[in-house]
Amino acid sequence: MKGLREIKGRIKAVKNTAQITKAMQLVAASKMKRAQDNALAKRPYSLLLTEILESVAPKLEGLKHPLLEKRTINKRGVLVVATDKGLCGALNSNLFRSILAMREEARFVAIGRKATQYLSLASCELLADFTVKDSVPFQEVRMVVEYMMKLYEDGEIDTIEVLFPSFKNTLVQEPILETLVPFGSLTEGLKALRKRHGVEEKPHAEDNREMLFEPTVQAILDELPTLFVKHEIYYRILEAKASEHSARMVAMKTATDNANNLIDDLTLEYNKARQANITQEILEISAASMAS
Amino acid sequence: MTLLLEIVTPDGRAYSERVDSVVLPTEMGEVGILPGHIPLTTKLVPGELQVMHEGKPQSLAVDKGFVQVSAEKVAVLTEAAIQVEDIDIQEVLEAQRRAREALEEAKKEHDMNPAEIETLEAFIRFTAAQQKAKEKKRRDVS
Repeated sequence: MKGLREIKGRIKAVKNTAQITKAMQLVAASKMKRAQDNALAKRPYSLLLTEILESVAPKLEGLKHPLLEKRTINKRGVLVVATDKGLCGALNSNLFRSILAMREEARFVAIGRKATQYLSLASCELLADFTVKDSVPFQEVRMVVEYMMKLYEDGEIDTIEVLFPSFKNTLVQEPILETLVPFGSLTEGLKALRKRHGVEEKPHAEDNREMLFEPTVQAILDELPTLFVKHEIYYRILEAKASEHSARMVAMKTATDNANNLIDDLTLEYNKARQANITQEILEISAASMAS
Repeated sequence: MTLLLEIVTPDGRAYSERVDSVVLPTEMGEVGILPGHIPLTTKLVPGELQVMHEGKPQSLAVDKGFVQVSAEKVAVLTEAAIQVEDIDIQEVLEAQRRAREALEEAKKEHDMNPAEIETLEAFIRFTAAQQKAKEKKRRDVS
């Protein structure tokens, strides 16, 4: 059995760790709440934007827009949304697992320091890395999106895809890879979006009359797809942040629980050792008095 | 017959009611929408959006965006929206002045982030729309 002092020292160390993880858990919990509210508030906008774009889509044939053109895919452009800090369980490693498979055929843009680290370690082609603050200001995200769209227009990359941990609930986050550009079937995308958001499929109020566009379809088309891509990416980053804080909270809670269990075990061991010492001393004293 | 008016901003759903009619500020001028209007998609410009709700007129200041009118629904997608009654004109003017100053400052320094300049411009645009809507309301009352 270990010495008393040694056990005492360990108990103290574990207690300190438990305190730190507990504090981190509380911080993550409050950030998580804010991030979740943020992501939720954004939903109606994201949905309506997609709905409008969907209704415009059938008119698009024959119109030119760089984001709508189909081209052969040589290099995929993948935006990886990971976290800046670690200690959030398996969130990042789950996310990175799918990178290896497409490492050859894709170029990467990273958000979050962890993504940068991983991509350069795995010797992937990393084009740029950004960091986005916890409050997710739209300007920061816009820079990322504009950078990627520029690459797309220049033909450096042929798709814009986003790999991010989607937020199912506090306990479950699932890495998802979604292609935003070129637009595939919007109807399907919309269905997936509604399902993820848990919104009922609205029976579309049937309206067969010809849709009127003012001033022209082209004028609307000049802005809508770009706005759509920006907001879709923005929304996904918000969701990734919600996932990050949830994952961190859960990881820290587990760590605190483990530390507390360890403290219990160590305390038991300490008491046993102390008791053994006392018994030993009594034995020695009684043996001595018997002898005299 | 009524219309469902939905105004959605990045901060959430700003307005969702059944209304009798809507007047929208669009690129082509003001457009009045009554139930049964032909399906229409158009661009919204910053300005005043007037609503007839249960026989009472209401008005909102909106920023730029898009509008889609379909069978029974007017969906407004905009960067910002506020009820005219909620506008505190003093505060808006003050905020606008501050934003203008910041913008002047920003334009002098050439290495300023263009995204930041645009944010300031958007802010000034929306405050101007609020101001216009509020003043019109005051004129209507007096």
